Amino acid sequence: MSIIDSIKSKAVRSPWLYRINAGSCNGCDVELATTALIPRYDVERLGCKYCGSPKHADIVLITGPVTSMVKDKVLRVYEEIPDPKVTVAVGVCPISGGVFRGSYSVPIMLDEIIPVDVNVAGCPPRPQAILEGVAMALDIWKTRI
Amino acid sequence: MVLSIFKVLWNNLKQGPSTDPFPFGETFTPARLRGKVTVDAEACVGCEVCATVCAGNAIKHVEREDGSGKDFYVWHNTCTFCGLCQHYCPTDAIRLTNDWSTAHRNEDKYKMKEHKFVAYASCSKCNQAMPHMPHAMLEHIYGTPTLELENIYELCPECRRQKAAQQFGAQIHD
Repeated sequence: MSIIDSIKSKAVRSPWLYRINAGSCNGCDVELATTALIPRYDVERLGCKYCGSPKHADIVLITGPVTSMVKDKVLRVYEEIPDPKVTVAVGVCPISGGVFRGSYSVPIMLDEIIPVDVNVAGCPPRPQAILEGVAMALDIWKTRI
Repeated sequence: MVLSIFKVLWNNLKQGPSTDPFPFGETFTPARLRGKVTVDAEACVGCEVCATVCAGNAIKHVEREDGSGKDFYVWHNTCTFCGLCQHYCPTDAIRLTNDWSTAHRNEDKYKMKEHKFVAYASCSKCNQAMPHMPHAMLEHIYGTPTLELENIYELCPECRRQKAAQQFGAQIHD
């Protein structure tokens, strides 16, 4: 037990973030960029870093209502992310459909196709709310290793 | 030109880092930030204009079957913080607070709502249930309402019509 715990605590390193834009209007993506790039918010203090490949990712941030055109692509990219992974839905669109709910091209919510762990509501959410969500996702990620 | 970098350096040394301490410390919140919606059930007239103007259909009014009032739901997971409901509310019953903290676990997804019960008043004459008239609404219409006006609005529309007809008839007889 204690050996496993110590291995687990050693295995916890900086999780890398990966963004998927599932038909977003780019509002939430701008907030995500703000969270990472502007020194005032600076998500890298939490040890997080954006990466370009899903194969390096630990925490995946998904924005946008999952439109019917992009749904299969989201699933394909999501499958490429190695386990353990934590999913964060950013903005109201992936959570409930937001203002696009009931539209002909928005047939599903995100948590109907992939397991979502943390939701950050808002249109767009504040950078602080995104930081709060990433901190929540970090806690979940540590329990999964 | 060369000296301007020294100016920036000096300011950075003087003011310290500009990074916000959140999530390890306190953060700043502007007073007029549009965040989670709150509802004052006492001031609500139940006109449903908020549900009509809501961009994301986040507001729902559900009439109770026993006729005692209606349930007022605002879903934070659909709300876009646009503030239209606050703009159009005649009695300022629905307000946007500056609470931006919206991150939650997926298990709590359907708990992220504002739920208030808007009770109906009953007619002072025939006891029939009717949407209640808050004082704020009377002030909105009449400025400072007289006691007579307030008594009229305690009656249901049917009793109000009868009372008006009686008054009108009395005037004709005189």
